[in-house]
Amino acid sequence: MTEEATSFKVGESRPYRVLKSSGRGLYNFFGGLAILFVFWWIGGYFISINPSTEHFAAFGPIPTFKAFPELWSSGTIQNAVAASGYRLGLGLLIAIVIGVPIGILMGRSKRFREISNSPFQLLRMISPLAWMPLAVIVFTTWNQSIIFLIAIASVWPVAFATAAGLAKIDPAWFKVARNLGATPTHMMTKIILPAISFDVFTGIRLALGVAWIVLVPAEYLGVTSGLGYSIEDARETLSYHHLTAIVLVIGAIGYILDSTCVLLIKHFSWHRGDAS
Amino acid sequence: MSNDTAPAGLNILNSMMGDNASQRLLKSSWRGLLNFFGGLAILFVVWWFGILLISSNPSTEHFGDFGPIPALQAMPVLWEEGTIQSAILSSGYRLGSGLLIAICIGVPIGILMGRSRRFRELSNSPFQLLRMISPLSWEPIAVIVFVTWNQAIIFLIAIASVWPIAFATAAGLAKVDPAWFKVARNLGAKPWHIITQIVIPAITFDVLTGVRLALGVAWIVLVPAEFLGVTSGLGYSIQDAREGLSYDHLMAWVLIIGAIGYILDSSCVMLIKRFSWHRGDQ
Repeated sequence: MTEEATSFKVGESRPYRVLKSSGRGLYNFFGGLAILFVFWWIGGYFISINPSTEHFAAFGPIPTFKAFPELWSSGTIQNAVAASGYRLGLGLLIAIVIGVPIGILMGRSKRFREISNSPFQLLRMISPLAWMPLAVIVFTTWNQSIIFLIAIASVWPVAFATAAGLAKIDPAWFKVARNLGATPTHMMTKIILPAISFDVFTGIRLALGVAWIVLVPAEYLGVTSGLGYSIEDARETLSYHHLTAIVLVIGAIGYILDSTCVLLIKHFSWHRGDAS
Repeated sequence: MSNDTAPAGLNILNSMMGDNASQRLLKSSWRGLLNFFGGLAILFVVWWFGILLISSNPSTEHFGDFGPIPALQAMPVLWEEGTIQSAILSSGYRLGSGLLIAICIGVPIGILMGRSRRFRELSNSPFQLLRMISPLSWEPIAVIVFVTWNQAIIFLIAIASVWPIAFATAAGLAKVDPAWFKVARNLGAKPWHIITQIVIPAITFDVLTGVRLALGVAWIVLVPAEFLGVTSGLGYSIQDAREGLSYDHLMAWVLIIGAIGYILDSSCVMLIKRFSWHRGDQ
């Protein structure tokens, strides 16, 4: 309020407020991370001064940050991100292509929704990694089985979120559209897809969270590329600073992907009150 | 996610009253039961038919063991050996301890996030970063820090489940009308009273929603965590069936994992409905 009073031109006050709030946001963002690193550093310090745990000192933040340029110049980070990103992207794409139509069917047909509930809930609660032995037998390469595991883990959040989104649509819209002579194609492209894109992205965000959990253990086995493999590799060669560096990379990429989903969700939101 | 999974059994009990409403309930519970078993029957028929097609091809004949009939036949065998019971017991112990630790840590963190704006703003970036570290990537560190594999698995489950619980608690607290705190303070409530009389009853619903999400995540983490090191639990049983090439057992375990997950998730849904005080949530 006082800032507005001091700025004489009304037009200046809004950008100034935005700037100030983003300054506060940046301050909180880096301040919070700094506190995390201080805690981590203190923990690492106590580990390094105790003679019995001395050899684990590489878990501290300083060896970890020194490991980043090494891993980057050797190309390990880039290769791991590319390999994992390919699997994650393809798995999510398959999940969206299968999950959205299933969700639309669940949302539009009461009969299908009621009949499909028990089998879908059962399949949803099968821990994705429990499919692993089966996937390895069915698919010829490990890459394909990892993509299958990610797809089967992500398809349920996408399908259920799509169905929930469709349930929120005012049935009058369909009536009006039919009365105005809309064909089923029009119905799909003009009403259903714009209305549910918000919920589909909410589902994709949930699916991404699940896929991110599944990706790492799936890459522990069989493959020799990707973020999960890099962790396992660092562990086996006892290079703990590489291990924590990869853990940090996983957290940072996950954070970026999740924030991107949040931005997309906000962009496609048409419900009042959801935008905030 | 839509979840009309309230088991029909309760409705049958209600029908003892014998009035019109309970007759309707009875009818709707019949419909529910029909859908429940009909849906599962369709799943089994599709499964059976798929395996039939695959095993009729000579080159993939040996996949016949993956069908539903061998899997269902394997269940009594596994039950009599006591494998199912002991696997559920050890996995249940790990899951339960992990979730309990996550609740004990997550709820206070969530209350702090909900009550203090400063803490919420500062903690957002580190918590989001930690939340998006895939739980299984803590596994090498957990194995070094903890003496037994059991402890390491419990740690992995706890670290995976703490975030949904903390964020759900904070979101629940954000929905509490600030006037309630003002009224309580004006009526002379101590901080302790505010916690027990206002905060906890108000957020139980959201905490349980968080526990449900946490359970879903913990269930995903449990199986790969048990692939490594331990010789008990559901994940180990799957790995064991795979190594023994007993595919009927493998499919039986997959079914058991799905069924237990379904039961746990439905119990959470029932608890959530029971503690709901928002109009329209029921």
